Parts: sequence; structure tokens; C-alpha cells
Amino acid sequence: MPNLAVFIEQRDGALKKVAWQMISEARRIADAAGGEVWGVFLGPDAGEATTEAAKYGADKVFAATGDSFAGYNSQTWATALANFCRAHNPDALLVGSTALGKDMGPLVAAKLECACISDAVGLKFDGGLEVRRPVFAGKCFTDVTPTTPVSVVGIRPNAFVMEEKAGAGAAESFDAGIDGVDQKATVQSVESAGGGQIELTEAEVIVSGGRGIKGPENYELIEKLADAMGAAAGASRAVVDAGWVDYSHQVGQTGKTVGPNLYVACGISGAIQHLAGMSSSKCIVAINKDANAPIFKVADYGVVADLFDIVPVLTDEVGKIRG
Amino acid sequence: MKIAVCVKQVPDSETRINLAAPTAELDSSGFTRILNPYDAYAVEEAVKIKEAGSDVEITAITIGPDTVKETLKKDCLAVGCDKALVITDPALDHADAAAIATVLSAALKKEPYDLVLCGFKAIDDDNGQVPILIAEKLGMAHVSTITSLELGEGTLTAHREIEGGKEIVQASMPAVLTCQKGLNEPRLPSLPNIMKAGMKPMETVTCADLGVEVPANLVQIKQYSPPPARGECKLIDAEDPAAAARELARLLNEEAKVI
Ligand SMILES: Cc1cc2nc3c(=O)[nH]c(=O)nc-3n(C[C@H](O)[C@H](O)[C@H](O)COP(=O)(O)OP(=O)(O)OC[C@H]3O[C@@H](n4cnc5c(N)ncnc54)[C@H](O)[C@@H]3O)c2cc1C
Ligand SMILES: Nc1ncnc2c1ncn2[C@@H]1O[C@H](COP(=O)(O)O)[C@@H](O)[C@H]1O
Repeated sequence: MPNLAVFIEQRDGALKKVAWQMISEARRIADAAGGEVWGVFLGPDAGEATTEAAKYGADKVFAATGDSFAGYNSQTWATALANFCRAHNPDALLVGSTALGKDMGPLVAAKLECACISDAVGLKFDGGLEVRRPVFAGKCFTDVTPTTPVSVVGIRPNAFVMEEKAGAGAAESFDAGIDGVDQKATVQSVESAGGGQIELTEAEVIVSGGRGIKGPENYELIEKLADAMGAAAGASRAVVDAGWVDYSHQVGQTGKTVGPNLYVACGISGAIQHLAGMSSSKCIVAINKDANAPIFKVADYGVVADLFDIVPVLTDEVGKIRG
Repeated sequence: MKIAVCVKQVPDSETRINLAAPTAELDSSGFTRILNPYDAYAVEEAVKIKEAGSDVEITAITIGPDTVKETLKKDCLAVGCDKALVITDPALDHADAAAIATVLSAALKKEPYDLVLCGFKAIDDDNGQVPILIAEKLGMAHVSTITSLELGEGTLTAHREIEGGKEIVQASMPAVLTCQKGLNEPRLPSLPNIMKAGMKPMETVTCADLGVEVPANLVQIKQYSPPPARGECKLIDAEDPAAAARELARLLNEEAKVI
């Protein structure tokens, strides 16, 4: 009978979708094994978080509100969540593997001196919690179990399917206990990269370009197809190292690890380090003029052709389909 | 100023892992080992700080088997670290992140470090935990996944990557920083420097020498298994590229239902 607590992340008031994916999965576990699903929210106002969490099956939503939670501070936020866990003893605290979650999750675990498991893609409860996660950049998976009564588990965005299922969503507040916390490191400002880009690690569809695009001027082809698909634009390291696009677009072992529903690789050979970052994508499309490129080994759909002939037509066609 | 760089030796990113079935332990005998790529950014940043200021001493610290010494020599000492500390102990063979952090913290307490530089994650366990656990154990500030760093008087300013932008973070020192690609361009060691690196001090200690007991793992590994198998690739006839593009769009929409 596990009680699973799910951290609901907000940035500037915008709630992260990964929270609803985690609540949906926690609901499925609770329906099978018993126990409750709790949302835990830190922010100025818990109204929207509570309604939304209830939609996906949260039994309760605990919130600590106030100006301290308007912007992220690692010490303040981790202290609040550690205090929540001490007061309510969830079996696990699920935290989305976002920039904030990866920074805060281990700190919460350190404060609780409890097990911390990063970047999970599967959860099971059978007497105890069992967590599945990729290691060696997805070249293999491992199943692990926490040995402490509570654990902090990072959950990779898009690992779980979001599913509406009404829950009671009873609103409760909790005492964050953050008076006198030494902040140690503070965010002075946030700079946006501009232009409402979709973040790779959260994207449901990704279009990536490799050295096959020939030059920086042609990355636009990739961006146009991404736009038409409502996708994020990615790149291989070859393209990043050549300076054609910013590193924030790099997918792979030393770039971002992604798991979208659809990954379209254009002019990417499929080196092992690239595959490491994207091979868990649900559907993979390869467009490459070399039929022997290793990318075809992981692809579900392949087109052996010049990407300059395929991508523009595909962009138009997708535009028509999606209206 | 004293800087510690925590480095880990990991299997080369080319390493293939061919598991036919789930197994309790990975056979790592054939792995070629390298410095964790993100730790190279940490080493380079420390060396840049040393080059910019006076009186900076850099200690590279690692937990690992005897084979880590070659990596320490070539990728740390030969590019500018001053000395190395190797913590080697069979008790640490299967240590989890919390245990590694406990032992590294014990080593880091031996000297008053102003900065502890780490990679943001190791590319084998992909945890991204050890540095943040260390920061809490030592009561230091931490800033993770930094892409730029400026040091002030007892404080530092770092840029940190977040979704769709970056945070500009100010932290008090001492601090633990985890390094991300973009921070700098790690230099390669020159042959003469590799030769000279052999003369730099490298101390090897056990957990007992550090006066620390290895705590029990908080996370237990049950098994390793191969990634789920992927189906056959459906190749679309590309005789007429435009027709192929249209067919691909149709399949993605009607068959795979992903657009
Ligand atoms: C430690 C380490 C870490 C690394 N980390 C990463 C990482 O995180 N991410 C990553 O991507 N790589 C990484 N790499 C690099 C990786 O090994 C490859 O070099 C890189 O992925 C190759 O990029 P590419 O596929 O774009 O280029 P290439 O390998 O040059 O492939 C280009 C492909 O485009 C095709 N092509 C050319 N022209 C056309 C055309 N007109 N139409 C269609 N197809 C065309 C070619 O057939 C070829 O298959 C790493 C390497 C190391 C050593
Ligand atoms: N065995 C180790 N020895 C020294 N430093 C380590 C060790 N393990 C992890 N680290 C440091 O912690 C970072 C993150 O590792 P991890 O939490 O294992 O992903 C690495 O990039 C290193 O800087």
C-alpha cells in the first residue's frame, strides 16, 4: 500500500507536464496495489496545480505557498520537500528529471539521508518499490530497489503516459519549515534563449539534423519541419561541434537524452553516441542517402534518399495533415 | 586557493554492451576506460583558474581501482593538476552514489578546499548525484550544470543551463560546481607533459586511511537487462522522392499515429 508523492513543478507559474505523467502512473500503481497518490506543490498559488492534479487522479494535493516559492532556490525548496516527507512519510517522492528536478532531487535525498534514484523510466510496486532506469546512456537497463523507507525518484519526461482519471484532489497545506534556511546559492536572473522553442527533453516529437545538412544555412530545413510537426529541433554532435547550432540542441551521450513519441533523424549516420541519446524514442524515422548507415538499425521507418529532396515535401505534407 | 577536482574513470562511449538476457552483474572486462567526458570540463576549468590567478593548487581526487592511475596521470596531472589522490578499496567496488559521496566527502574534509569541481554526471551510471550529495554533506553551496564561471571575493557567479535558457546564479564559497559542455574546451596533454606528470605526487589511500567506514548501499541493483528490442525498419521506396515523402507523412499519421 504505497503512498506516492509527486512533486508538481512550476516555473513562473507554468506547470510542467511531467507532473501529470507521474501522477497518472502513480494512480495506476495505487489502483493495483492500494495506497494514495499525493501531489506536492511549491509556488505562490496552488489553485491551478490542485485542480489539474485532481484531473489525473491525485487523492490529495499538499501545498506550501508564499513568495519564497516564486522562484527556485535549491536549499529552500529541498528543505521544504524534505520537511514534507518527514511529516507525511510517503513511500517515494517522484520528481521530474528537469533542470530543476535534477538539481533539487539529490539535495532532498541528502537531507533525508535516503535512497536517490535518477532518471527512471519504469516503476513497479510489489511489496516494495522497484525502479527501472537506463544506464550507459541507454545501452542497457537496470532494475533497482531503494532500501530506505522513503526514496527520491527522478522520472524522465515522457516515460509515462498521461491519462485523465478524476481523483478527490483534497487541498491541504503543509509547513515548509524554511525560516532561517541558508540559501547558499541564489538565482540572480533568468535569461531566455528566446523564441518559445520547445525543450528537447520534454518534446513529444523531435526533428534532428546531422552533418548531412551540409552547412549552417540549411538547419532552417530542420527547423521548418520541426515547426510543421510541432516538434523540437535537435542535432548531432557533428553539427554542434561545427558551430552550426548551439550545444543546447545536441542529442546523444554527451548531449541530451530524449524519449519522444517520434524522432526524425535527417542526415545523421547513427553513431553509437548519438543512438545513446535517442534510441528509447518510441518511433524513429531515418532519412539518409546511405542505405548502410547504422541509424537504419534502430529506425521504424526509413527513406534512403537525399534529405534535400525529402524534407521540404515532408514539411508541406505534414502541414496539410496537421492543418 | 585550493581546488579539488573529483574525477571518475568510465567506459569509453564507444563501448558496446551486448546482453542477451538479464544478468545480476555486468561483465566489464572488455571495457576501454577513459576520463568521464564531463570531468574533463572540470579539470580544464580548474587549470584555467590556476593560470589566471596566483597561488592555486589543484588536487585531482578519484575513487576507483588501480587502473585509474593512468587516467589521472594523462588527463589530470599532465594538463595542469598539481597532485592526485586515489582512493582504492575493494569495499567500494559496488558502492552506490551515497556511499561514494560519503567517502569523497571524508577525503575533501582533509584540506580546506575553496572549490570542488565535478562533472555533472558520469556516463556509466548516469546518476548526476554524487556532487550534490557531497555539497550537502560538507555544508557547501552547489551550482549544477554550469556553462560559465566567474570568481569574485568569496563568491562566484555561474550560468546554469535550464529549459529554454539559463539561470545566472550567485553562490558563496566554498562551493561544489558541476560542469557541463560549453564551459570550456578541454586541452589535450602534450607528450612531454605526460612524461613530467609522472613526477607529480600521487597518493593512494584506503577508506581506513581516511578514517571513514563505507556505508551500506541505499540503492540495490537487482539486475541489468538489454534494452527492449526494436522492430524491423520499414523502408519506403524512394524512386520518386516526393512520393516517398508523402508516403512517409501518411504512414506517420495513419499507421504510427505520431503526427
Ligand atoms: C566521447 C564522445 C561523445 C560523443 N557524444 C555525442 C553525442 O552526444 N551526440 C552525437 O550526435 N554524437 C556524439 N559523438 C560523435 C559521434 O561519434 C559522431 O561523430 C556524430 O554523431 C556524427 O554526426 P553525424 O551523424 O551528423 O555525422 P556523420 O557521421 O558524418 O554522418 C552524416 C550522415 O549524413 C548522411 N548524408 C550526407 N548527405 C546527405 C544528404 N544530402 N541526404 C541524406 N543523408 C545525407 C551520410 O550518409 C551520413 O550517414 C561523440 C563522440 C565521442 C568520442
Ligand atoms: N568514483 C568517483 N570518484 C571521484 N569522483 C566521482 C566518482 N563518482 C562520481 N564522481 C564525481 O561526481 C560526478 C557525477 O557522478 P555521478 O553522480 O556518478 O553521475 C562525476 O562527474 C565526478 O565528478
